[in-house]
Amino acid sequence: MNWIPITRITKLGLTNFWRNRWLSLASTLVMTLTLLIISMFVIMTMVINKTTDRIKSKMDITVYFNDSATTENIADLQQKLAARADVSEVKYISKEEALQIWEQTQKNQQIKDLITTNDNPLPRSLAVKATTPEKLNDIDNYLLSDDFAPMIHKISYEENKVIIDKLLAITAFIKKMGWLFSGIFIIVSILVILNTIRLAIFTRKSEIEIMRLVGASDRFIKMPFVIEGALYGILACILAFILMWLGVYVIIASLVTQYLGAAVTENLKSFFSSYIFYIILLQFLVGIVIGVGCSLFSIRKYLKV
Amino acid sequence: MSKFYYLEGVLLIELIGVSKAYNIVGVKIPRALDNINIRIDKGEFVSIVGPSGAGKSTLIKLLICEEKPTTGKILIANRNITQLKPSELPYFRRKVGVVFQDFKLLPQKTVYENVAFALEVCEAYPEEIREKVPRILDLVGMLKCKDKLPTEISGGERQRVSIARALVHSPKILIADEPTGNLDPVNAWEIIELLERINKRGTIVILATHNKAIVDRLKRRVILLKGGKVVSDQMKGGYVI
Repeated sequence: MNWIPITRITKLGLTNFWRNRWLSLASTLVMTLTLLIISMFVIMTMVINKTTDRIKSKMDITVYFNDSATTENIADLQQKLAARADVSEVKYISKEEALQIWEQTQKNQQIKDLITTNDNPLPRSLAVKATTPEKLNDIDNYLLSDDFAPMIHKISYEENKVIIDKLLAITAFIKKMGWLFSGIFIIVSILVILNTIRLAIFTRKSEIEIMRLVGASDRFIKMPFVIEGALYGILACILAFILMWLGVYVIIASLVTQYLGAAVTENLKSFFSSYIFYIILLQFLVGIVIGVGCSLFSIRKYLKV
Repeated sequence: MSKFYYLEGVLLIELIGVSKAYNIVGVKIPRALDNINIRIDKGEFVSIVGPSGAGKSTLIKLLICEEKPTTGKILIANRNITQLKPSELPYFRRKVGVVFQDFKLLPQKTVYENVAFALEVCEAYPEEIREKVPRILDLVGMLKCKDKLPTEISGGERQRVSIARALVHSPKILIADEPTGNLDPVNAWEIIELLERINKRGTIVILATHNKAIVDRLKRRVILLKGGKVVSDQMKGGYVI
C-alpha cells in the first residue's frame, strides 16, 4: 500500500486546521459544549433511572394493623395475600420485631428510650412484596376493600407512590430537556462547523484550482477537509472528556462530600468510572459524525470537483 | 501507473463539429463556438488567434475538459474526451499541461515547492519529486531561483515556473492560454522560445494569443477564430484579421 498520499493528505488537513486556527478553535469549542451537554443529560438520565429502579425494587406495601385487630384476622389476611399470584412474599412483623427495627434505625439514645417493651405503641404489620412493582397497585386496591378496613390502621404504599410518581415525572422531564438542549446544541455546532469548512474552502480556492489543474484526484482534494472536520470531533471529544472528568472528580465530588458524605462520593465516582467507556464512545461517535458529516456536506456544496 | 493510457499511443487531436452554446435563461446569445473542425498532428505548434470574444478561451476550456461542448466530439489519441468519467479526469489532466496568463502560482510556496506541489498532489514518490523538479527547473532556466518566492521574481520568470509546473508530468500536450499577456516584449519572446524548445522535444504546443508580433515571427500554423468560427487555418501563417 502506498502511504504517501495518506501522510500528505493528513498533513494538508492539519495545515488547514492550523491556518484557520481561530475558526477551528471556535468550532472545536462549540462542539465540546455540545458533547458536554449531551453527556451531561445522558448521565443524569442514567443516574435517575438507576435510582428509580432501585427504589422500585425495594418498594413494598406495609399494612399496619390497629391494636384491636385479632391475631386470627391478621393470619387470615396473610394467607389470603400469600395465595395471590402477584404477591411474592408476605412477612409478619410483630410488635417486638417492630421495636427491634426501631432501635436499629435510631441512633439517638434519648429517642430510643421513648419506646420500651412495656410501652410499645408500634403496630403489628405485614410487609408485602409484589412480583413486579407495577402489581403493587392491584394489591393496594385489594387491601383498600371494606372487608379489611376495620383492622387496618395505615397502608404505607400510598405515601411511597407519590415519591415514585414524582421521580418518574422528573426523569421524563429531564429526558425531554436533554433532547431539547442536545438538539439545539447539535444544530448550533453543525452550523458553526459548516461555516468554518466553507471558509477554509474559500481561503484555499486558488490552491484547489491549481490542484485540479495539475491532475490531483478528487480524493486528494476532498480528504484534507474531511480530516479537518474529524479533527474538530476528536479534539472536542478529548476536551469534553477532560472537562467532565474535572467536573465529576473535583467540583461535584467535593460538593457531594461536603453535603452528603464521602460514601455518596464514592458511589458517584464508581458509577462514573463504570460508564466511562460508554460516555467516551458516545462523545467520540457524535463528534466524528458531526465533524465529518459537515465537511462532506460543505465539500459537496462548495467544491465542485 | 497512468490510468489514461490512451494518450500513450499515436497522438493527435481532432475536433469534429464542435459547438458550444452558453445558455442564459430568456436571452438568445450567439454560440461561443460554432461547428469547429480542427486536426492537430503529433509535434505541431499551433497558434490560435482572434479578437476578444472569438472563442479562444472556450476552445481552451474544452481542450482541458474544463467544460463540455454542446455538440461534437473532441478526440485525443482516438479517445473522445467529452465522455471522460469524472474519475478519469485527473489522469487526463496529468497528460495535458496548461499555462495561464496569470501564472496561478501559490504565493506562499517557493519556486521549487510550486513545481513539486504538482507532483505531491498526484501522489508521486519523494524520490521522483527530488529527481524531476530540478531537471524541469533547469530546462526552463529557473534552477538558480528555486528557493525564491513568486513575489521575488519577475513576470517572465513566474511564467517559466508555471511552464515548469505544467511540464513536470511530462505531458504530451502543452496548452498555453495567453502566456505572454502580462509580459513585456523581451520576456514574451523568451517564453515563446521556451515553448518552441519544448515543442522540439515532441510535445504538441497549442498557443492562444493576441500578440501579432509573436505569431508573425513564429511562422508556424495559425488558426484564426472569429465569432466562434474558424476563419482561416494556415500552415505557415501570420496574424491577419
